[in-house]
Amino acid sequence: MTETSTPSGVRRREFLKILGATGAATAAIGCSTDRVDKLIPYLNNPDETVPMVSNFYASTCRECSASCGVLMETRDGRTFKLEGNPDHPLNRGALCARGQAAVQGLYNPDRYRGPRLRKGNALVPVKWDDAIKLLTEKLTQAQASGSASKAVFINRHESGSFPGFLDQWLAAFGMPPHLSHDALADHGAIDANRQSYGVAWPSLAFDAATLIVSFGADFLDTWGASVPQQLDFADARAKLTGAPRFVYVGPRRSLTGCNADTWIPCRPGTELAIVNALRGQGSLGDAAQASGASETALQALQQEIQRAKPSLLLASGMNGGGTALVSAVNDWNKSLGNVGVTVLPGKAVTSLEGISSDADVAAAIERMRSGDVPMVMVRGVNPVFTSPKSAKAAEAFAKVPFKVSFSSYPDETSELCDLVLPDHHPIEAWGDAQPVPGVITLQQPGMDPVYDTRQTADVLLALGKANAKAAAQFAAPNYMRLLIDHFPGGTAQFTAALQKGVGSGDLPRRAAPARAAQAPAAAPPSAGSGDFFLVVYPSASLGDGSGANKPWLQEFPDPVTKIFWQTWVEVNERTAQRLGIDSGDILRVESPNGVLELPAYVFMGIQADTVAIAFGQGHTAYGRYAANVGSNAGDLLPASFDTASGGFRWASTKVSIVKTGTFTQVVTVEGSSRQYNRGIALAMTVDELKAPPKEEAREKMPGDASHEYLPGLRSPVAADAQGAIQSSIKTKEMGMYDPKNWSQMAKRRWAMTIDLARCTGCQACVTACYAENNIPIVGAPYQQVHTAFLHGVPGGNVLKGREMNWIRLERYWEGGEDGGDFETRFVPMLCQHCGNAPCEPVCPVYATYHSPDGLNVQVYNRCVGTRYCSNNCPYKVRYFNWFGYGEPHRPQYAWPERMNWQLNPDVTVRGKGVMEKCSFCVQRIRESEHRAKAENREVRPDEFTTSCAQACPSKAITFGDAADNQWSVAQLAQDRRGYHVFQEQLNTFPAVVYLKKVNHPAPGSAPAGA
Amino acid sequence: MATVARPRVHTGPNIPEANIQLPSVETYGQVTDEIRRTLNPTKAWLAGLLLAIAALLIGLGAWMWQVYMGLGVAGYSPPVMWGVYIVTFVFWVGIGHAGTLISAILYLFRAGFRTTIYRCAEAMTVFAIMTAGLFPILHLGRPWKFFWLIPYPNWRLIWPQFKSPLVWDVFAILTYLTVSATFLYRGLLPDFAALRDSERNPLRKKIYGVLSFGWRNSDIEWRHFARAYLFLAAFSTPLVLSVHSTVSFDFAMANTPGWHATLFAPYFVAGAIFSGIGMVFTIIIPIRRWFNLKHYVTLNHLDAAAKLCLFTALIVATAYITEFFIGWYGGSEIEHSFWYNRVFGQWWWAAWIMLTCNTILPLSLFWQKLRRNTTWLFTLSLFINLGMWFERFVIFDPSLSHEFEPWQWTRYAPTYIDWAILLGSFGWFSMWFLLFIKNFPVVAIAEIKEIIPPPLRVAHAVEGIEVTGMHLEFEPETPGERD
Repeated sequence: MTETSTPSGVRRREFLKILGATGAATAAIGCSTDRVDKLIPYLNNPDETVPMVSNFYASTCRECSASCGVLMETRDGRTFKLEGNPDHPLNRGALCARGQAAVQGLYNPDRYRGPRLRKGNALVPVKWDDAIKLLTEKLTQAQASGSASKAVFINRHESGSFPGFLDQWLAAFGMPPHLSHDALADHGAIDANRQSYGVAWPSLAFDAATLIVSFGADFLDTWGASVPQQLDFADARAKLTGAPRFVYVGPRRSLTGCNADTWIPCRPGTELAIVNALRGQGSLGDAAQASGASETALQALQQEIQRAKPSLLLASGMNGGGTALVSAVNDWNKSLGNVGVTVLPGKAVTSLEGISSDADVAAAIERMRSGDVPMVMVRGVNPVFTSPKSAKAAEAFAKVPFKVSFSSYPDETSELCDLVLPDHHPIEAWGDAQPVPGVITLQQPGMDPVYDTRQTADVLLALGKANAKAAAQFAAPNYMRLLIDHFPGGTAQFTAALQKGVGSGDLPRRAAPARAAQAPAAAPPSAGSGDFFLVVYPSASLGDGSGANKPWLQEFPDPVTKIFWQTWVEVNERTAQRLGIDSGDILRVESPNGVLELPAYVFMGIQADTVAIAFGQGHTAYGRYAANVGSNAGDLLPASFDTASGGFRWASTKVSIVKTGTFTQVVTVEGSSRQYNRGIALAMTVDELKAPPKEEAREKMPGDASHEYLPGLRSPVAADAQGAIQSSIKTKEMGMYDPKNWSQMAKRRWAMTIDLARCTGCQACVTACYAENNIPIVGAPYQQVHTAFLHGVPGGNVLKGREMNWIRLERYWEGGEDGGDFETRFVPMLCQHCGNAPCEPVCPVYATYHSPDGLNVQVYNRCVGTRYCSNNCPYKVRYFNWFGYGEPHRPQYAWPERMNWQLNPDVTVRGKGVMEKCSFCVQRIRESEHRAKAENREVRPDEFTTSCAQACPSKAITFGDAADNQWSVAQLAQDRRGYHVFQEQLNTFPAVVYLKKVNHPAPGSAPAGA
Repeated sequence: MATVARPRVHTGPNIPEANIQLPSVETYGQVTDEIRRTLNPTKAWLAGLLLAIAALLIGLGAWMWQVYMGLGVAGYSPPVMWGVYIVTFVFWVGIGHAGTLISAILYLFRAGFRTTIYRCAEAMTVFAIMTAGLFPILHLGRPWKFFWLIPYPNWRLIWPQFKSPLVWDVFAILTYLTVSATFLYRGLLPDFAALRDSERNPLRKKIYGVLSFGWRNSDIEWRHFARAYLFLAAFSTPLVLSVHSTVSFDFAMANTPGWHATLFAPYFVAGAIFSGIGMVFTIIIPIRRWFNLKHYVTLNHLDAAAKLCLFTALIVATAYITEFFIGWYGGSEIEHSFWYNRVFGQWWWAAWIMLTCNTILPLSLFWQKLRRNTTWLFTLSLFINLGMWFERFVIFDPSLSHEFEPWQWTRYAPTYIDWAILLGSFGWFSMWFLLFIKNFPVVAIAEIKEIIPPPLRVAHAVEGIEVTGMHLEFEPETPGERD
C-alpha cells in the first residue's frame, strides 16, 4: 500500500490496528482462566444513566436521628458511596463514619432477602402477598376484638412525615401512637432544653464563645447532632488566637474530652454538685469532696467562667445527671448571658423533636412481660439488644402472641418475631426529614432494591388498603406519591428540592408524645456494692450497636483507646498500678445486675475510682460481623431511668473488678502512645502564636514546612518527563529540588495540608478512605487463619498489625506522667508522597515510582511483594495484602457477595501479595483532569478534593496543587504553623504539611508539652 | 612399608605451616583407598538422607500452603515486613562464605591446613547458596513473578530498578553460585579421574568418566589445572568480600534505625566467615569420625581453623561494640531508643543469645586444649550457628519493630509456617550434602597426595633426599577425642 491508496482500502496502519486488536482479543480470551465476563451494552439506556459515569443523588442519612444530607454516588445502577451534601444545613458537605458506612448496611450479606414467617423455631421465607394477607388478618382481628388498643409499635426515631403517617395508620387500626425510640438520645438534655428554651436541641455557636465548658457532654462523639457540632467546634478552634478555650469535666476523657485543653476528672453522677458549687449554690470544697475533682481546679474553673464572656456551658443528662443537671446548666447559661449568643434556641435542630423517652419504651416492654400486649411491631430499632439485660426484653417479647419486625437485618429482636417484613434500606427508600426549622431534606432511592424488601410505609399503605374501614384514608398509590402530595409547593417544588436534597418549608410536626408512664424512682447513682463506678458510653462508631454489622465500623478503632473488634474495660493508670493490672489482663467486672469478663485497657483519661465500657458490641445475632464479637456492656446496668426525663442512665451502678489471672491481647492499632519528642504531632500555645514570627528562627525550626519546599518537591523525574533533563539542576542549596526554576518542572504538585488545630480525631476520614479506595477489612472473625493460638479471634489479623487503614489517626499523649492533666494530640498519618521518597529507590521492579506531578505511585500489577518499600518508609504507611482479601474465592475475601457491589469501580481491588497505600485519590485527580480536558479548560482551583478531605467534619484536610497559589492548599502550606514530619531527620520532602495544633493553656499556667 | 627417619619433635609455635602433615597417611594408594571407601553407602547415611528429605517435604508443604493462602500464614506483623525468611536467607549466604574463604583465600595465602577441609567447605558453600537463593523467592508476595527482578529484554522496555539493593542481590548471589560451583567442580576433576579409575560399576565408571572430562593425569593437564585453580582462587577472593557486602547493602542502604550503618559490609563479611567456619566444624567433625578420616583431618587442622574462628569472632564482637557505641555516641534519639530496646528492652533475650553465642563462648578458643577438643568444637559450632541465626534476627526484626514512628511499634513472633520452612531449608541443604558425600570424595584426593611424602624408593628414603615435610607422630589422645 502506498500513501496514495484510496480511503476505502485498508491502510497499513489500520491493518496493523486491526491485527493488534484481534490478536489482543484472541490472546485475552485464550489467557482467561476463569470465565468469560460479558459486557452487554444497554439496549435502552435507563434515564440519566451513562455507563461508567457517576450520578449523585441527594438524600438523607438515617444512621442516627440527626438527618444529615448525603449525596449517593451511583453508577450503572449501584450506589457505592455516600458523601455529605454541601447544601444541607446540618452537615454542610461533611459526613461522619457511621453515615458513610450506611452502604455496608445496604449491601450487607446478612440482610433479610425477603419476608420471613415463624415456623416452629425457624423463620422461613414467605411470599410478600401471603405475609401481608396474614398481617391483615391479624390486624383485623385485633381491631375487631379491641385488643389493638394495647398494641405497641416501636419505631426508630426519625424526623419527617413518616412518624405522623405512622400514627395516622395506627389510629386507623385503633392502635395507640408509636414509640419513637433512639437509644442514644440524651433525654435529660432534650427535656431540660424544652423547659428552658422550648426546643429540644438549640444550635451551639462555639465560635462566639471564649470559653467552652462541657460537663460530660460529648458533642463530638454521639451527643446530639455531632456532625454540625463538630463543624462549628472546628471552625471555632480554627480562629486560633481568637479561639475558645475548652474545659471538660467528666469521669472519662472521651473524644470530646481529648479535644479539651483541660480535663477535670470527677465521679459519674456528681456533675450536678459541681455545677451547683461553681454557680455559688454550695461549697466548692464539698463538691470536690463528693466528686473526687480537685478543688483548686474547680476554683480556677469558677474564676475562668466568671471572667469569660461569652462562654458556652454544656452538660449531658446521660450519666445520671438527668434533667436536673442540664436545667441547672441552662439556667447558668441564661444568667451568664450566653443564651442567644452561644446557645441559639432560635436556630434549633429539629431532628430530635417528637422522641419518646427510654422509660416509655421500658414501660412498654414491662407491659409485654406482664402479658398485656397482644401485638408488637418494631421497625429500625433493636430493643432486645439496647435494653439492659435486667429489663428482660427478650423474655418480654416471648410473651407477646404476635410480633412483627420491619427490620432489614436479623437482629436480636427480629429473631424473636413471628413475622419479618424487611424494610428497604434508607438508600432504597423514599422519605423526608426536617433537620432544622424551615428546611425539609428529602430521601430518595439511589438504586433498585438489593433484595426482595419493601418500604415499610408502602407496606402500611397496602395494609391500610386491605382493611375495609381504613381504606379511604390510604388512597395514595404509594408513599412517594404521598410525600409529593404533602410537600409544600407540590410536585414542582418537590422535584426542585429533590435535585438538591433540601427544600424550604415545614412538615407537620408530630407532637412529643405524652409520657405514657412515670418512670420508676431512680436508684441512687452509686447503687451496687463494688469499689468502682461504672460508666457505659455509646461507642463512637457502633452507636447503639446498630453499626456492629458494618465491617468498616467494626474495623474502626475507637478514637480514644484505639481498640476495635473487642469490648474492653478502661481502668485508671494509677489504680491499675495499685491493683497490678496490665492492659490485656482479663478482669471480672461484677455489678448487681450481671458479670462480664473483659480485657483491661489501662487509660490515663479516666477517673481513679471509675471504670468505663463502651456500648455497642456483644451481639448474639445481627450477622457475621456483629455476632459473638465482644460483650454487651448493658448486661451490667440496671434498668434505671432519670425520673424527670425518663432517660436511661448510662452510669448508675458500682462494680467490683477482680483479676481473673488470664490474659488476652488487646486488639489495638496503638504501638506506643508517646511520641518521644520525635516531631510527629507538634503543638504550640496560643501565646507563641500571638508573638510575631521570627523569620530567621523559623528557617531553623525542625521539620519546618516553609512553602519553598513544596514546588521543589516536584521531583527531577518531573523534569525528565517533560524532556528537560539538563536544565533543571541549578540552585546549589536546593540540589535537584529547585524552587526557582518551576518552568522546567511539571505543572502541578499535588499536596495536602492537615490542620491539627481543626482535627478532632473523629476518624471520618478513615472510613471515607475505606469507602473510596476499596480497602479490605481484615479483622472479621471469618478472616482469621486458625492456628494453635488464635482460633478465629475477631481482630486476630489486627493483633499482628495487618490492618489496612491507608489513613490512620495516631493519638499521642503528652504530659500526664505525674498523674496530672495531659494533652492528647491526634495526627492523621497517610502516605506523605515524599519528593525524595525512601520507598522508591528500593523497589527492585519499579512498582513504586514518582509521577511528574508529585505523586508517589504504587503500581499494583508490577508489585512482586518484596515489601522493601515498607521497611524503608519511615512513616509506615504502606500496607501489604497478606491474604487474598480481594480475591472472591479466598476465605479472607473482604466483600462477601453483595458487599462487593459497594466497590468503587474507579479503583483496583488488590490481590494477595501486593503492597498498597494512599494514592492521594489519584482516580479523582485523573477524573478531574480528564473532565477539564474534555471541557477544554484548566482544572479549577479547589475543583475537587480527596475522599478524606471531603468527608472531614472538621475541614482539617485540604488537598490540591501546591504549585498554584490559587489553590487553598498552596496558601495554607505557607502558614507559619506548618511543618513536615521527619523532614529534618530524613530529608524526605513530604507533600503533606501539618499545621501545628494550638493549645489554650489555662490563664497563668505553664504550657503543657512542646 | 617404608621406614623413614624419625623426625624432630616440633616444639615451636603451632603455626599452620608447621603442622599440616599427615603422619598416618603414607602412600598414594592408601589415600585413594581410604577416601574411596567413604563413598560406600551405609544404612545410617540412608536414614539421614530420608530424614533430610522428610524435613524438606515439611518445608515444601508449608511453602505450598503459604503460596495458596498468602504470606499472612507466616508470622509477619507489619511493620516487621521481613521475618524469618530473610533472616534465614542471610544465614545461609553467610554459611556459604567459609567455603570460598577456605578454598580460595587460604589457598592464595598458602595456609596448608585448608587442604583437608576445603572440599567439604566448598560443597557446603554451593549447597548453602542454593538454599539461600530460595528464600528471597519464597518470601515474595507473588513468588511466581520473581523473574521480574532479573534484567531480561522485554517488549515493555521495563527493567529492574538498578538502584535497588535487591537487584544487586540477584547479581551477587547468582555470581557467587556460579563461581563457587565452578571452583568446586574444578577441584573435583582429578578426583573424578581417580574414582573413575578405581570404579568397578560400569555405570558409575561411565558417569565419573564424563564428569572427569577425560582427565588423563598428564603434565600439561596438571599445568593447566594449577593455573586455572589459581585464577579461580584469585577470581573468587573478591567475591568472598563483595557478596556479603552486597547482601549487607539490603540493610545498610535502608534508612531503618539499626540498619543504616556504614559498618555493615565488613561486619557482615566477618560474621559470614565466622558462621561459615562454625558450620564447617558442625560438618567436618562428624564426618572425620564417621568416615574414619581422623588421620586426614587432624587436630592440628581443626586447631588452626579454630584460631580463624576465634579471630573472626573477635571482629564480630568489635562490630557489635561499635554498633552499640554508635547507638550511644551518634546522639540520635531514634537510634538510641532503638538500640536500648534491642539490647535491654523488648528483644533482650534475642540480643543476649546472640552476644553469648557469638562473642562470649568463642573466647574459649583462646585455650589450646579446647581448640583441640572435638566435642567442645562441635558443641561450640552449634552455638555459633544458633548465635549467627540470631544475629541476623536481632539485626532485622527489632529494627523493624521499633522504627521512627512510635505509633507503629510492634511485636513479632514467627508462626509454625516460618519454622517449617526453616526446617525445610535444613532438609534441602542436608539432602544435597548427604548426596554429595556419598558420590564425591569429601577430602580432595589429589591435594592430599600433594602433601604426603612422594613415593620414594626405600633405599633412598633415609639419606640425601629432603622430603617436603616432617612426619609427626599421630597426635596423642586428647580429651573429647574418642574412637
